[in-house]
Amino acid sequence: MPLYFSEHEIVLPGQLLSDDGRRSGEGTYVVDGKIYAAQVGLATIRNNRVCVIAFKGVYRPQVGDEVIGVISDVKPNGFDVVLGKHLTGVIRIPDRRKVQNLGLRVGDVISARVKESSLRGIILEHTRKMRRFDKGLLISIHPAKIPRLIGRRGSMINMIKRMTGCRIVVGRNGLIVISGPSPAQEFAAVTAIKEVEKEAHTQGLTERISKLIDSILKGGVG
Amino acid sequence: MALPLRSKKDLTARIMQEKIYSLLQQGKRLDGRGPRDLRPITIQTNLVEKAEGSALVIMGGTKILTGIKVEVGTPYSDRPDEGSFAVNAELLPLASTTFEPGPPDERGVELARVVDRSLREGKAIDLKKLCIVEGEKAYILFIDIYVLDYDGNYYDPALLSAMAALATLKIPKYKVTDGKLEKTDEYFTPELTALPFSVMVGVLGEKFLVDPQIDEEKVLDVSLIIGTDEKGNVVSIQKNSPGPVPINLMDEIIEIAWEKTQEIRKKFLESVPAKLAQGQ
Amino acid sequence: MSKPKLITEDGIRSDGRRFDELRPIKMEVGVLDKSDGSAYVEFGKTRVFAAVFGPREVHPRHLSLPDRAILNCRYHMTSFSVEERKPLGMTRREVELSKVIREALETVVFLEEFPRTSIDIYIEVVQADGGTRTTGLTAASLALADAGIPMADLIAAVAVGKVDGQLVLDLNDVEDKYGEADMPIAMAPRFDSIVLLQLNGRISKDEFPKALALAKKGIMEIYRLQREALKRRYSTTHQGGM
Repeated sequence: MPLYFSEHEIVLPGQLLSDDGRRSGEGTYVVDGKIYAAQVGLATIRNNRVCVIAFKGVYRPQVGDEVIGVISDVKPNGFDVVLGKHLTGVIRIPDRRKVQNLGLRVGDVISARVKESSLRGIILEHTRKMRRFDKGLLISIHPAKIPRLIGRRGSMINMIKRMTGCRIVVGRNGLIVISGPSPAQEFAAVTAIKEVEKEAHTQGLTERISKLIDSILKGGVG
Repeated sequence: MALPLRSKKDLTARIMQEKIYSLLQQGKRLDGRGPRDLRPITIQTNLVEKAEGSALVIMGGTKILTGIKVEVGTPYSDRPDEGSFAVNAELLPLASTTFEPGPPDERGVELARVVDRSLREGKAIDLKKLCIVEGEKAYILFIDIYVLDYDGNYYDPALLSAMAALATLKIPKYKVTDGKLEKTDEYFTPELTALPFSVMVGVLGEKFLVDPQIDEEKVLDVSLIIGTDEKGNVVSIQKNSPGPVPINLMDEIIEIAWEKTQEIRKKFLESVPAKLAQGQ
Repeated sequence: MSKPKLITEDGIRSDGRRFDELRPIKMEVGVLDKSDGSAYVEFGKTRVFAAVFGPREVHPRHLSLPDRAILNCRYHMTSFSVEERKPLGMTRREVELSKVIREALETVVFLEEFPRTSIDIYIEVVQADGGTRTTGLTAASLALADAGIPMADLIAAVAVGKVDGQLVLDLNDVEDKYGEADMPIAMAPRFDSIVLLQLNGRISKDEFPKALALAKKGIMEIYRLQREALKRRYSTTHQGGM
């Protein structure tokens, strides 16, 4: 199909990408049979479709996503959970006794899996998979940067974990819990993660993050 | 340590509360600062030409723009040889999800009044120098503070930006011809007669921290804003949050405030071409 | 006050520009941290911030729409942005401008992607020297793009007018005050469509197409600068630390 962009080129809303309107994918729209970018992002072909991977795309929870949230309300039939700046979900537990036994309070941080995600809202699974964090730091980065934070086959996040010695649980929704053996190491992990968020679109990032962690741990900051 | 965790908009995770507390017990903070470290401060003045005075102060992630408009009005009858000033503040919705558009809420009103008191009781400017014709005409300074980005503690950068704008004010000179007031092409910059600055001190489990960042602000037991002048006088105090202040901590709080406001004062003098009256 | 001379016989304007010249323009994307997207734009001495929050829940709930997002827009000026201090609060002018700016942006934002939510746009004019609504709209468009809100196109805007009988591009404050006409225009250039159009003053039927053509020329340049500003924000080479 005729393309008007090169792979991973930065494109902007309104930019013409292709004349083949049948192959439009995420981040694009079609007018008069032509595909245009709807977002600021990287244009690419995925599954034979023209897509724009937005730098800051709005996160839409998918069924099965592992997310982290903060309990914002305890009700007789479940909990409300804040999943992000503008995102909330619910956990439905029809059994009042079970709700009490879970012993969750407003302000508790939990991880859970997305069970349903629709216009009506996000429902999280109540299973053994749901767990409460009882210590650590909670930070939040833009959900669109999570894939970059994880890296190919976990390369970035594993490097950060290894170098800082911290336990890091990454929610697909951008919330992250970090727990480490010392404040300095936790600080190194937080700084590294925030740097990844800021520089997600740049090249040579893995090496720079590695150097950053090194310098923080050696420099004794935090 | 049961602290009231607020509405959804402002919800704080329990583990963060505990983390901030335990870090502080070890003399550490989330952003790597020490408990008595201020965030980095930058001050820019004269950025809005249409304003007679303006300053942008960035303190960490909090950004505040203050502008001063000068008008000519009638002095108060009980102070015929003085001009006056009024302070307003707006917490712009751009700055935070917790700021709504509309007239200033209690926080915006409080901010304006706290800055006002620091300037007024701190005697930052000589109001007599703002008189044009005694009993008839005087300058009125409208000091308007806008919070553009809120990452905790807007009080100190607000006062700092108001002071920087005052220090670089260009007031148009008026002359009287045939009983009528005429604006000339000349300007003057009034001297500062004092240097009042404030610092926000937070208390968390009997430990102090200064200049709280927003995550810290949400979990403090209590906080106070203390304003001092360069002579060591305390010129304003505002306990600005619910929560008790153990009385035995007050002396230390005042000491910390003095130390930190001196730092801010130094930064101000380094960055702003301020004219100081004799004896500064 | 007597009317100043706005343009000489040689076609030089009060600030030294020719009739078809834009003022010096500066654009920066992602300048505020707490919003989802933001931008700062200068057209000469006119300086404007824009910030976007959303898509987010609507409060009260009954104001939300079942099939699309609501766009809220607040155009506001600081008290010190103008010669005579503007009192706090929204003036009627700010209310009107908020509406026309919102309607311009509604034309390109894919609102149906986010039912039952609101997308809130805040425009703050910190210095006004003519063309504040067009500068604000240009900034708002960048802020929306920065926030990752899907749109059909960016919106670029400029005001054309008539001073001393001549059509000019990008009016400054003096020209706006003393000229014969001030016509703000915004376009979604990809689709050659006008999304905002107002006229304050009078021009002849023959002048109108010329004014439009002049505006379009300016708009294409502004559009180019917007695209550059967005690309700069995401350049793949590492920028030195802030």
